[in-house]
Amino acid sequence: MAAASAQGGRSGGGGGSSGAGGGPNCGTGSGRSGLLDKWKIDDKPVKIDKWDGSAVKNSLDDSAKKVLLEKYKYVENFGLIDGRLTICTISCFFAIVALIWDYMHPFPESKPVLALCVISYFVMMGILTIYTSYKEKSIFLVAHRKDPTGMDPDDIWQLSSSLKRFDDKYTLKLTFISGRTKQQREAEFTKSIAKFFDHSGTLVMDAYEPEISRLHDSLATERKIK
Amino acid sequence: MVRAGAVGTHLPASGWDIFGDLRKMNKRQLYYQVLNFAMIVSSALMIWKGLIVLTGSESPIVVVLSGSMEPAFHRGDLLFLTNFREDPIRAGEIVVFKVEGRDIPIVHRVIKVHEKGNGDIKFLTKGDNNEVDDRGLYKEGQNWLEKKDVVGRARGFLPYVGMVTIIMNDYPKFKYALLAVMGAYVLLKRES
Repeated sequence: MAAASAQGGRSGGGGGSSGAGGGPNCGTGSGRSGLLDKWKIDDKPVKIDKWDGSAVKNSLDDSAKKVLLEKYKYVENFGLIDGRLTICTISCFFAIVALIWDYMHPFPESKPVLALCVISYFVMMGILTIYTSYKEKSIFLVAHRKDPTGMDPDDIWQLSSSLKRFDDKYTLKLTFISGRTKQQREAEFTKSIAKFFDHSGTLVMDAYEPEISRLHDSLATERKIK
Repeated sequence: MVRAGAVGTHLPASGWDIFGDLRKMNKRQLYYQVLNFAMIVSSALMIWKGLIVLTGSESPIVVVLSGSMEPAFHRGDLLFLTNFREDPIRAGEIVVFKVEGRDIPIVHRVIKVHEKGNGDIKFLTKGDNNEVDDRGLYKEGQNWLEKKDVVGRARGFLPYVGMVTIIMNDYPKFKYALLAVMGAYVLLKRES
């Protein structure tokens, strides 16, 4: 759980470096600077503790999400996440029922209800584990591209990533599922996180965003060839 | 357009923002943080209730608080109890019982048992390390204990582990501070 991830990790909030981030990057004058400015207005450039593995992964994931959602204007689909939230909510519901019932009818009269709730709770935990391991895997974004003609079903883009503990190699996998043909194509890259973060722990979008775009375009162009 | 940084809680000297993770989250992620905390609490609760159902005892794990059962049990030992109705209570066995009106369970040995034909029993207890039997501990006018007073029978034990519970009960502020820190950690830190 959360306690198992990086020891002593602290995420410095983006708000801490408001003035400094705006200066150097504003004046690049390239065609993409408009996009970078937009990112900076919503969130300050992401600055995290570079030694905290989970903060690094989270910020890389979030930025990849932002690229897909903002640059390519895809729409996020929350189905997978909602599934996990529902399972957890139902589990907590069983726990609350057990708690209240036991309080109203002290043990041993509450034994059958308690037994039922406990068993249901652990069954839900099992379902949750299966769900996160097999259905969700390490996917953190499911985005839809609405078909402009409105005739074909949506194309689905999925992002999943992995970053091993104490390792610096970050793997990002982009999966494209065509709405029409239901075919699945994937592209991924594995790079050291040192390529994307500067020495102070700020994520450099200039280095990261092209990687994402490259993955995306490699999958999108294949489609055109077909 | 320059937007002022979001209002947050900063420790001025170190620039450490404890709500940093939370501020970057959308509604669903915030709900998941709360759920995560609730699930940890629920898991602990369900394990405890599960033990209660399995053992049939209302308090399946107890800590020995006094030295009245030395050298068998010492202060700070953890005891695992079961309370199955079919188990007969015989002289020489160690039982954990609660005296009516008091809510601290006592761990002592059964020294005398009277049993009726239909299975009703009354029994007398005494701590191994005590000079006298427990009649002084029972309720006013009560000379015997009955099955309904029994919380469970000791089935296994772990030495010294219960000292943590004793310390936390002697210094409740420490307990609450520890729980608060653990709760804050789970609520505020984003799970990957």
